Amino acid sequence: MNYAVLSVPDFALHALRRSDPSLVGRAFALVSGEGRKARVSEASDEARGVAPGLAATLAMSRCPGITLRQRDPGAEVEAHRLLIAAAFTLAPRVESTGSGCCTVDLRGADPVRTEALMRLRAAELAASGLPPRIGAGATPLLAAYAARCAEPVLVVSDPAGFLAPLPLSFAAPTAEQEAILKGWGITTLGGLTALPKAEVGRRMGSEGALLWERASGESTRVLRLVEPARSFAAEWGYDPPVESTEPLLFKMRRFAERIALELRGSGFVAEKLSLTLLLEDETDHRREFRLPEPGADVEGWLRILGGHLATVRTKARVAGVRLVAAPARPPQKQEGLFDTGLRDPASFWENLARVAAIVGDDRVGTPVPLDTHRPDAFLMERPAESVEPPHAAPVHPPYGPTLRRFRPPWPVSVACEAGAPARLEGGRLGGRVSAALGPWRAQGEWWKPGAWALETWHVELAEGGVYQIACSEGSWRVEGMLD
Amino acid sequence: MSRSPQTVSALRSLLSARFPEKARKPCGGVPVSVGPIDDALGGGLPAGRLTELISPAASGGGQTVIARLLAATQAARQRMALVDGSDGFAPGAVPGEMLRHLVWVRCREPGEAFAAADILVRDGNYAVVVVDLRGCAERLLRRTPASTWYRLQRAAEASSVAVLVQTELLLVPAVPWRLILGGPLSLADAEATREDVAGRLSVRAERGAVPVAKEMVG
Repeated sequence: MNYAVLSVPDFALHALRRSDPSLVGRAFALVSGEGRKARVSEASDEARGVAPGLAATLAMSRCPGITLRQRDPGAEVEAHRLLIAAAFTLAPRVESTGSGCCTVDLRGADPVRTEALMRLRAAELAASGLPPRIGAGATPLLAAYAARCAEPVLVVSDPAGFLAPLPLSFAAPTAEQEAILKGWGITTLGGLTALPKAEVGRRMGSEGALLWERASGESTRVLRLVEPARSFAAEWGYDPPVESTEPLLFKMRRFAERIALELRGSGFVAEKLSLTLLLEDETDHRREFRLPEPGADVEGWLRILGGHLATVRTKARVAGVRLVAAPARPPQKQEGLFDTGLRDPASFWENLARVAAIVGDDRVGTPVPLDTHRPDAFLMERPAESVEPPHAAPVHPPYGPTLRRFRPPWPVSVACEAGAPARLEGGRLGGRVSAALGPWRAQGEWWKPGAWALETWHVELAEGGVYQIACSEGSWRVEGMLD
Repeated sequence: MSRSPQTVSALRSLLSARFPEKARKPCGGVPVSVGPIDDALGGGLPAGRLTELISPAASGGGQTVIARLLAATQAARQRMALVDGSDGFAPGAVPGEMLRHLVWVRCREPGEAFAAADILVRDGNYAVVVVDLRGCAERLLRRTPASTWYRLQRAAEASSVAVLVQTELLLVPAVPWRLILGGPLSLADAEATREDVAGRLSVRAERGAVPVAKEMVG
């Protein structure tokens, strides 16, 4: 197979349905013309008794619940971009043949892998509301014929056997040619190609010879190639503006599917998503999501975006949305033989992003103490991919109970006797000190404005409990409990 | 109403057939490296189950349990998550290299902690998830619907993660293992290594305890 054709029957109908959640599962039809002249051009499977060409009024009487709509050029453009993006994942030479149809030059591709890929894309497109038919053959024309017969993928390996039973209409004869051939008793492509091409040309002229070539599937042409996407973005509007997340997420999924396919087709993954909600009052809400694990997984993106949208409250209704994916090359990693890595990296990073959406980006991660004596100085870093084995036992093992901090520290009044704390009084903690250890004095950064100095004590209260208290600039506070 | 052994046996069979996950014995455990707790649980925190550890008194040793658990999980090269309900964990209080396998979630209130725990327990990449609710307002904790806990238990069962819930008051309904930390630590313990401090903790098992030990091994 040298060429593949991806074609979506009833393209305008599917394009509109995938952009409008209210049409899913309902009987509806597209009409062209207005008033009494309006006629059905495409009808959904649910619209029983309605066929293309039927008057709109008749369609309404035959199928009482039917919804009649005009074509939506915007939805068709978006759906066609999705189809082109899917084609680019098969091979880099793609022609936009027509609305809902594109041709791919597969020469040089591995046939087995390509056929598997075509089946995968067909399933993905169908799940995305755009059920395609994909045909593959030696010429673009043969591939187009195959696409018309595919359910949903058909690879033609025996052209003569495939073409023989097909009706003559596949070769698009003129009415006059069809009448002549019918008079000869020829109704199939096989019947026509059984005649010598020269004889057909002699009797029907050059047009007849061209028809014979089309019937044999031999005619070929140069593809008018399109460029793959260079920016990975989508923008859409809502009229009227929306107030809830459901319509946002429905359309977001459609556009994200297209962006993900465009990324894959170009050999990229997304490392960052940028979401902008365009509000009715002409302000906007912007948020950028750095994907912990770069990828082109739409479900993962939607979990992150949906998690954020569930927490967003805007002052005005949403009139439009812009979604931009920042491309990056896929990460390459070879696992170590004894790595204790992540069982499910995608789930790990997605879940961290979801947790970050709840508590904030800076409040989830792996803590790393800073190289300073300043108390409670640490950074939150991205967790490691694998758990390293422990090094040798520390020279100075940790001693005593472990500190649990009170953030922020509790202010407290301290009465001292003989230079040591003897009694604590405060809103949250008080009592006689039965034992005290300290002081530990520390200071730092005295050479710059953020200078600090502390005197720290560990005190045990008579009624129980060991606490860490500290004095700074004459004021005492309880830093935490030794627990 | 009489209840013959046959009826009880049939009922048990019926229940185990209808709810196989309930009849399944917990497999494996995560040692805490705190002798009294490991002894009470028969080896460590049971995987796929919730364990409630109550610290009713100040300086009961709950934070030392977390520090020891960090060391134990790192030694076993397992990943640990700490959902910190009142943002009380002090990274400087444990050696830095014991933090590399930790995912710390710093929450501001219990609602955030429950939401984060619900996600992390289902993740499947963690051996232990510690939900530390000490220091959270009792008023808010009391308002937690029981369904939140049941949901967490179901999630733990599904993902086989060991979940340790640290509280200051009896909180988790129908928890399979509930331990209560006893007498408070004192300043005298400051001279002992943390391992020794952990060994001195007094732990009372209110629910679960030793008979499960044999079930957990394997």
